[in-house]
Amino acid sequence: MRAEALKGHLDALILGVLEHGPLHGYAIIEELKARSGGSLEIPEGTVYPALHRLEAAGLLVSRWSEGARRRRVYRLTARGGRELGVRRSEWTSFAKAVDAVLAT
Amino acid sequence: MTYLDDLSQQLRAVGVDGRRRRRIVAEFADHLACDPRADLGAPSEVARQFANQLGTTLARRAAYVSFAALAVAGALFGVDFLTAQTRALAPTGSSTLAYVGAGMALACCQVAFVAGSLAALRALRRRGAGVIARPEAVVIVRRAGIGLVAGMTAMLGFILTAAGLGHYAATWWRTLIFASSGTAIVVLLAAAPAVLAAMRLRPLAAGPAGDLNEDLGRLLPPALKGRPWRFAVVVAGAVALAVAAAGVAQADPFDGALRGLADGAACLGGFALLGRYLGLRV
Repeated sequence: MRAEALKGHLDALILGVLEHGPLHGYAIIEELKARSGGSLEIPEGTVYPALHRLEAAGLLVSRWSEGARRRRVYRLTARGGRELGVRRSEWTSFAKAVDAVLAT
Repeated sequence: MTYLDDLSQQLRAVGVDGRRRRRIVAEFADHLACDPRADLGAPSEVARQFANQLGTTLARRAAYVSFAALAVAGALFGVDFLTAQTRALAPTGSSTLAYVGAGMALACCQVAFVAGSLAALRALRRRGAGVIARPEAVVIVRRAGIGLVAGMTAMLGFILTAAGLGHYAATWWRTLIFASSGTAIVVLLAAAPAVLAAMRLRPLAAGPAGDLNEDLGRLLPPALKGRPWRFAVVVAGAVALAVAAAGVAQADPFDGALRGLADGAACLGGFALLGRYLGLRV
């Protein structure tokens, strides 16, 4: 799937990946690729501005990890969880509608 | 020059502050350590994305934070204003300082209300936008900033009024004014960092700043769409009538009419003076 097609869905994808636990930037991208079976072509440099924006909007929080290497780890906030619920339901309705049209 | 050095320079060029810049560079360094062949995009493009996305979020946040602070200050202003109508003030008491202070309070509270409300309204209308145009972000942040400054000036006006009235005013009233106005100024100052942050980092996307049409959308009657001056005259007329009606209700129609005319003229003057700067007209 081309990067252009992901426009508008990246936020939901990031929130969805972080639903299962905190991750750092590189791991988020790897998880996005893995969960999509490699079919999502995510321009890697675009994920970081989105992470910072989602954090500024209060949907994520982040902190430096204490491991061998300094890493910024992101976690979903309660508000981010609610936003994910909204995005999920919007996507379901959208996909159902598009499916209904394309199936005919 | 390494990729990370270039990225740091580009981030600085678009206005990303030192702390966030170091953090972004550290995150990209970690990514490249995990995958040295990763294609993270041209540094200038990455910096542009950060400016667009963070600038948009910061502009909206500045509008909401300043509106919340102005709402608190507005409630305290209401307490000050209502208690000023009581017997706390001797009818013969006056001083130049008190007049100047009252003038500041009455004029600036209206500017603060209009600027702060319109900042929040535009931010609300653009709440779903991932990126807003730079001129529009400038207008939003400008409104938020003017709202805060006008709010602080209004509260300072009340303090000057209380100080100027001296023994003409009851001690409890002066204490109340100093405490409530001082608290309001502190609340408004606490909102200033959000506005300053949005002033430093602005989106780079091109586009129009918009005007009252974008603010009010369908709330704007068709006859007033694209006619900002006509809108200003209607609002000024409504304000003048409301103030005059209050005068009639207080059994002082002549004074009410005078005050109505003065308030209406002040509305039009404010629109002429700040309309373009605050993005009310193009």
